[in-house]
Amino acid sequence: MLSDVITPDLFAAALRIATPLALAAIGGTICERSGIVNIALEGIMLVGAFFGTATVLATGSPWLGVLVALVAGVAISAVHAVASVNLRADQVVSGTAINLLALGLTGFLMELWYGHPGTTQPIETLPPVFSFGAMGEGFIGEVWRWVNGVFLSHTPLVYLAIAIALVAQWAMYHTRWGLRLRGLGEHPRAVDTAGVSVARGRWVAVLMSGALGGLAGANLSIEQVGVFQEGFTNGRGYIALAANIFGRWTPVGSYLASLLFGFADALQIKLQPFRDVIDLPPEFFLMVPYVVTVVVLAGVIGRAVGPAAVGVPYKKG
Amino acid sequence: MNGSRDAVTAQRAWMAALQKIGTPIVSAILAIAVGSLIIWISGYDPVAAFAALFKGAFGGPKQVGETVLRATPLILAGLAVGYGFRAGLFNIGAEGQLMMGGLLTAWLGVQMVGVSPLITVPVLLVFASFAGAAWAFVPAILKARVGAHEVITTMMLSHVARYVVSWLTAGPLKAPGQIPQTETLTTSAQIPRFQSIFPEGVLEALPFLGMGRAHIGILIAIVVAVGVWLVLRYTTLGYENRAVGLSPWAAETAGVSVQWTTVKALCISGGLAGLAGAVEVMGLHHRIFDQFSAGVGFTGIAVALLAKNHPLGIIPAALLFGALSAGSGTMQLEAGVSQKIILIIQALVIFFVAAEGLVNWFIRKRQKEATSGAE
Repeated sequence: MLSDVITPDLFAAALRIATPLALAAIGGTICERSGIVNIALEGIMLVGAFFGTATVLATGSPWLGVLVALVAGVAISAVHAVASVNLRADQVVSGTAINLLALGLTGFLMELWYGHPGTTQPIETLPPVFSFGAMGEGFIGEVWRWVNGVFLSHTPLVYLAIAIALVAQWAMYHTRWGLRLRGLGEHPRAVDTAGVSVARGRWVAVLMSGALGGLAGANLSIEQVGVFQEGFTNGRGYIALAANIFGRWTPVGSYLASLLFGFADALQIKLQPFRDVIDLPPEFFLMVPYVVTVVVLAGVIGRAVGPAAVGVPYKKG
Repeated sequence: MNGSRDAVTAQRAWMAALQKIGTPIVSAILAIAVGSLIIWISGYDPVAAFAALFKGAFGGPKQVGETVLRATPLILAGLAVGYGFRAGLFNIGAEGQLMMGGLLTAWLGVQMVGVSPLITVPVLLVFASFAGAAWAFVPAILKARVGAHEVITTMMLSHVARYVVSWLTAGPLKAPGQIPQTETLTTSAQIPRFQSIFPEGVLEALPFLGMGRAHIGILIAIVVAVGVWLVLRYTTLGYENRAVGLSPWAAETAGVSVQWTTVKALCISGGLAGLAGAVEVMGLHHRIFDQFSAGVGFTGIAVALLAKNHPLGIIPAALLFGALSAGSGTMQLEAGVSQKIILIIQALVIFFVAAEGLVNWFIRKRQKEATSGAE
């Protein structure tokens, strides 16, 4: 049984499932590092997925869909920026409003444009970047099967997510933008005193998280599922926030934490058919990602400390 | 001299009170206005849409009954979220605690055969609130001990609750037959409808008493609302809850245990959500099935915020959302506007209440215009 479970497929699935979580989690990291809590990632993903899917349905171009998903994510996150930066609203409450708005708006437009609730028509998805066949024999062949299966079988945004994690990590610790970003979340007054606009810095961070959340939605709909389904983010935005915390508010940490959640989810999917070994109702498998999230939060928090000024509206002067 | 000063103080107090209820009212009006705009942009007639909605919510005794029916669990869910907010906690996963309360009610309510309703109903309410409190206990402990954010943990557990309900209703607790649902509650475990408590003749003479599907759970909800208000205002429990909500540091310094208060607050919040589930099961569905709650726990967030977490304010706020929900069916039927618009309006209400600055600016601008107009 073990050789049926531990396959290249399992790890490839982990990477695949981790991708939307990681994109959103890195968005959450950037946003929280600037001092703004972003509960709205769930809604941003949903909006990105919907408008991305709608674009593919209208134009037949998956890449245009990805672009529109990104723009839609930025647009809806602007609402969060207005509320939390300019109006100094409670950021958690504003994020909740956006999540609910996303659910309502996508459902409303779904009925308006397609005449029915639920699920859209299937769309053309983005194909994997590479397609290598089997190579070599014996040990070499086996190694290649694993490398090819785990790392080279993916769609573009899976690789983009890894690249974004690395670039964001570098930028956060080695550029002026990164220094200012971290300052915004730790001590906005100091950044302000240095002559840098807190409002502008936070706006940029929120919009960046919107772009990443939109991409996460695009990955979900245009690369993975191939449809849009009402509410199909299913709490991923919240799991992404947990991944951001588990990754200690760093981009690479967020990615690795997402990978852990992705692996847990991939494992439960892989184990489901083995009813003779683990005889549990399917619902118990489906609970796994949510339970793992709570367990992980319970285990790490206390020791992981977030940005000092996160969630606190900044008043100039 | 003194008299005029008193008058000024009285006027100030009046203005403050007006401001207090003014913000929620303006928020609700703004939300409905933006909702109308969306309806209009979508190519429908907002006036016709809201006329249909109004008809569906208040058009007759049956419609009023539907509004009351929908408002009943919303009062309790709103109290749940509001009680948490008063301690600075955001119980975004009230939906999960609500489902657990409903689940236990549906299970016990089938078994308590031959017991008087005067015993069955209160016993089930108590057990349901325990179930809700128990479901909130893990997030409560995690929040108090390691600081795990209750927004994430309660949300995750609400997804888990959804799967627990769908497993039990399709498996161990499934009633015989094709549909995945539990068996009907025994009659003594059902909360009676208003219709059934009046004799036939009275209903014919006074038709407004026969409020469709509305049940006396609304009275339970109102009693609980008054109870929560009294607890918050007059008891040590409520005082500590508010103190921690206003400033944990000050509360801790004053000798209030923030950790213990957090645990109590989130469990009481969960208990109230459990009651919402119980009332929904005992008064409306008389059983449970997959997704029996339809987002009541989430609407409770909008209810609590609109009421500014005031237990008594939650009653009219719940009635507003109850009316929107009750009328949305008629709106879809007669004006063709998707019921999803109600979700959008809920979201906008939350947004405008959160962005209080925006609304206050709007009110001040209006006042300025009014006074400058008078001059």
